[in-house]
Amino acid sequence: MTISNLKKLMLSVSCAATLALGLAQGAAAEDWAPDGPVEFVLHTKPGGGVDVYTRTLAKELEPLIGQKVVVVNAPGGGGATQMAKVRAAKPDGLTLGVNTVTHFTGMLTNLRGTFSPDDFEWIALSQIDPILFFVAKDSELNSITDLVDLAKANGGEVNIGGFGPVGSMQNIGMTMLEEAAGVKFNWVAFESTPDIIASVLGGHVDIGVSNLGPALEFFEADRLKGLGVLGEKRLGTLPDMQTFGEQGYDVDTNWLQVRGVFGPKGMPLELQQQIADAIHKAMATESYQTYARASGVEDSDFGPVEYSEFVKNLTTLAEQQLTAAGLISN
Amino acid sequence: MFESLAIGFSAFGDPMVWFALVFGALAGYLIGAIPGLGPSLGVALLIPFTYGMDPVVSIVGLVALYAAAEYGGAITAILINSPGTAAAVATSWDGYPLTQQGRAGEALTVSILSSGAGIFVSTLLLVITAVPLSEFALRFGPGEYFALALVGLSLVAGLSDGSPLKGTVAMGIGLALATIGLDVQTGTPRFTMGNPEFFEGLPLVPVLLGLYALSEVLFMIEDGPSEKLKSTPIGGLLALPVKAILGLKTAILRSSVLGYAIGVIPGAGASIASFVSYAVSKRLSKTPEKFGKGSLEGVASSEAANNSAVAGALAPLLALGIPGSPTTAIMIGALMVQGIQPGPLLFTKSPEIPYTVFVSLWIGVPIMVLIGLAGARIWARVANIPRPAIAAIVAGICYVGAYASHTTMFPVHVMTAFGVLGYILRKLEIPLAPIILALVLGEMMETNFRRALISNKGEWDIFYTSPMTVILILIAILAFALPGLSQLRARRAKAAAL
Repeated sequence: MTISNLKKLMLSVSCAATLALGLAQGAAAEDWAPDGPVEFVLHTKPGGGVDVYTRTLAKELEPLIGQKVVVVNAPGGGGATQMAKVRAAKPDGLTLGVNTVTHFTGMLTNLRGTFSPDDFEWIALSQIDPILFFVAKDSELNSITDLVDLAKANGGEVNIGGFGPVGSMQNIGMTMLEEAAGVKFNWVAFESTPDIIASVLGGHVDIGVSNLGPALEFFEADRLKGLGVLGEKRLGTLPDMQTFGEQGYDVDTNWLQVRGVFGPKGMPLELQQQIADAIHKAMATESYQTYARASGVEDSDFGPVEYSEFVKNLTTLAEQQLTAAGLISN
Repeated sequence: MFESLAIGFSAFGDPMVWFALVFGALAGYLIGAIPGLGPSLGVALLIPFTYGMDPVVSIVGLVALYAAAEYGGAITAILINSPGTAAAVATSWDGYPLTQQGRAGEALTVSILSSGAGIFVSTLLLVITAVPLSEFALRFGPGEYFALALVGLSLVAGLSDGSPLKGTVAMGIGLALATIGLDVQTGTPRFTMGNPEFFEGLPLVPVLLGLYALSEVLFMIEDGPSEKLKSTPIGGLLALPVKAILGLKTAILRSSVLGYAIGVIPGAGASIASFVSYAVSKRLSKTPEKFGKGSLEGVASSEAANNSAVAGALAPLLALGIPGSPTTAIMIGALMVQGIQPGPLLFTKSPEIPYTVFVSLWIGVPIMVLIGLAGARIWARVANIPRPAIAAIVAGICYVGAYASHTTMFPVHVMTAFGVLGYILRKLEIPLAPIILALVLGEMMETNFRRALISNKGEWDIFYTSPMTVILILIAILAFALPGLSQLRARRAKAAAL
């Protein structure tokens, strides 16, 4: 490292510190001003989508709240390790967790009785990420209708590769399409999205399910072809791909992958609102926006009231689907 | 291609790139040497520091750390029989016996030189074959993966000389343990005793630390303080055992190519590469009887292979955006933070990334080897520390390493339980290697076996219609049967001679 580089680095570090200090001192009464470092506990190992999201957010959050934001990876137990840490923490806003839909399906199945959505406060929704169905470029299928026709002709022998076992977020998305179309597909479970893409490219499964982000480059490189997206409207980056609804399949478009922030039960609503505001403010920064657009996710501005309502609806929907699939009984 | 390589070399005009390379190599060396840490955690720890950096600087630092950490695992494997990663397990089989014979310095020197040679050779292969070989690897479907795992498992026969029965028992234990956790297809908990901490299966690092290192501590306690290892001093920094290395060149070259090829296949990582290369070297060696008792050839094969697998794992990442190993999966995150999404267009959209990686691997080799050789001089003295102190240090490392792997107490309990189990099994002379092999491969085998049947309407023909699957299954059968047959033949020859 040259002297000038080192100086530049020192300068930028001290600038950031001054800025952070200034912001903290200038913070109005209603802004979130934690009195210690804030921990974001994750249920995943470092490096995945959730980790990148949290670290990008944390970087923008630090100058806003004038405190360090520490990302703690607590994988294990299908989220149980993380949820145990968050549930045991003081509701002072210094310990928060990041959640996905997996948390809700988990609390209805394997973690039923161990954790429940009522054990936590659901503070802010940050990202929504619709799932999409895709095939390899040279596939004969061009739409969800083609897929449904093939399944009807083959008696359900169409392989769909997606993330997680039967009862996972993406698997439920598939069963919702099954109901709407009156067909059955064959679910092939994978443990990572790159594996799903590789299997579709190699011809080992017919259809892949994924969120946009990890698949985006393969669409751009013209290696994958989209069949449809499970969402209210088409994706901005892939405007040619129709939604399930446009193709005539009535599937509940609230079934979205999400990334949100939650905390231990008993946190004052006012504090929750302050945390949500700070998060949404951090999301407006240029570097977060660059990341979010490149990842293919959409922003959400839901605070504690809206997000708690959203969680309630999502859980009800998941419960219906899991019951219909025979995975849980009431 | 030469023009593009020039882009890679030109990146090294920036002193920050050099800094990243040296820092990454040093950090990786130390992180790899601490059991419980290792390459994927090391790369993850470095990511936050790369935020403010230029993408090229950051990827050079991360790749240097990855390669050096994959080597660092050999140090504790050789010195105190504590492989910190599954990929260093095969290194401990001969490395630790060498330490016990007072030849720790020699083992460390051979391990670093083989690692360096492995990276050099495999990077050459990477530059030439990254794109075509990654495309080829896409043809690996569930049937092929199952067959590949079977090949890995068939090595058990070759790794447990003396008693194939005990080897098979150990393999059974490993396979049984691999079934713990949530069923990958249905999500049903299996053998979790209602405890969510078992949902994701037994954590590998604590199991490794327990079986190998903690059980060794128990043996040290039992043996008492009397025994002190003698160690042969290993000359100056440049006094290399040239003759020994030249004698190993075939094994190193072969293991490098094998390690690279196995590394390219997503999901088959450095550990399978080192197991397979070790077994192949043993079979082709002029002195197979030395393997497992302190063969430099064994150390060289395992180390050349697990470092070559680094370059192999980078191939599908750079060519297609599909990670070849858990560590490269984390690197995708690092590149994404920089606004670079690895994918099939990386070579056209940001050629500076792959070509700088190629060049940095080459330039990194002499740096890594120098660090390793200098380090070997220091580490070799570990053998001079009195046994009771070593036992205490290793026990400490085991507990800290297990805790660090998850930052909860669960892996600590797992490590302790496996320490006791390892002690008992070693008393019964049941080999530990097949347990680790089965634990690593069991899940891959089961998942792909079921995935193959599910995606093929339950028909079994998926296992015999693909030529690649058939060849792999035949290799597995031969590898399993040959040691038994040659034993039988030897016994007959003996009988005939009488």
